[in-house]
Amino acid sequence: MKSSYLRASLALACTLALSACGGGNGNLLLGGSVSGINKEGLVLQNNGGSDLAISAPGQFVFKDLVGTDSNYDVTVKSIPSNVEKCEVTNGKGRAAFNILNILVTCTIKTHELKGTVTGLGNASGLVLVNGSDRQAVSAGATSFAMTKVSEDSPYGITILTQPAGLTCHVANGVGKMGTADVTGVQVSCVPSGA
Amino acid sequence: MKSSLMRPAFALALALSLASCGGGKAKFPISGVITGLQYSGLVLSTNGMDLPVPTGATTFTFPNELEYGDVYDVTVKNQPQHQTCGPQLGTGSNTAGRLARINVSLGCVINSYTIGGTISGLTADGLVLANGSTGGTLAPSKGTEAFKYTFANPVQYNVTYGVTIITQPTGLTCTVANSTGVMGDANIENININCVPAG
Repeated sequence: MKSSYLRASLALACTLALSACGGGNGNLLLGGSVSGINKEGLVLQNNGGSDLAISAPGQFVFKDLVGTDSNYDVTVKSIPSNVEKCEVTNGKGRAAFNILNILVTCTIKTHELKGTVTGLGNASGLVLVNGSDRQAVSAGATSFAMTKVSEDSPYGITILTQPAGLTCHVANGVGKMGTADVTGVQVSCVPSGA
Repeated sequence: MKSSLMRPAFALALALSLASCGGGKAKFPISGVITGLQYSGLVLSTNGMDLPVPTGATTFTFPNELEYGDVYDVTVKNQPQHQTCGPQLGTGSNTAGRLARINVSLGCVINSYTIGGTISGLTADGLVLANGSTGGTLAPSKGTEAFKYTFANPVQYNVTYGVTIITQPTGLTCTVANSTGVMGDANIENININCVPAG
């Protein structure tokens, strides 16, 4: 009685595994989670095969199951174009149960966002903003730099406070960060009322 | 033999409890830990006591202690400025003595508010707004009448926002009024966008 139950449930498990995973020699899940990506391009491998393409952060599981006592070695085959690097932790071991603790941590490339300031003279009080990034520009400055921006992210520089007695405008301060630094933002200041 | 061992043990226990509590029943101070408190004004309350908690505090203890079996329920009587505090699930109320000591765990977060405004003249699709590089983007569809919009990502108190137009709609030129500011203690609803035919 007991063994017939076991056999039936084993058969069911096999059927499920086959239908869900397209076959494979193993019986254990191999997966984990990915962070730090926002577009396609990440491909993971196990033991140099079983390519798994991932396009969004979150959980992943390889389609091929792995066998009990078999070795697994998860590596990064390719990364998205806007990603600096992806690091794998808990990627190697011998499978004794479902492995779901592999972490793939990716870092998106960042680029500089900066430019020139003209007409500021010795006036103080100019504060530039790119959303939550706030940068005060000192009196006498002829250049400025915002916090670096992730590749593919938008940016938009606005003026939070004008310097004393001056009115400043921003040119070339809005766009989408490409693959190179943005260095041509121009902040030009003239006496207020002029 | 057995009772002769128990007697000194009992005497020792009694001596210890007398030493720690000044005699009588066991007393339980109502204390706890606080994380994230940055602004003034927090007042906690339980068992008829109010306890003002100063800025930056990481622990608190109410002045009067409870006796075994007394029920406590620590609540926030006044929230601090710009923040919302509350006990972590299951730590704010219990019966004194059920645990060896009372340890309320209180967490505080900085309040966040939405940013948005009214869009008028948007007779074509394609407008894309952004709040800097990390505040999210918004692509409102065209509308025949002026309509309100709100960014999905709220902005924390004292954090800046700056709304710019990343992409102009087809055939229109839009401008942003009141685009930039520092978040206060209310939703921002005046980042108004006006679109007119280009050229």
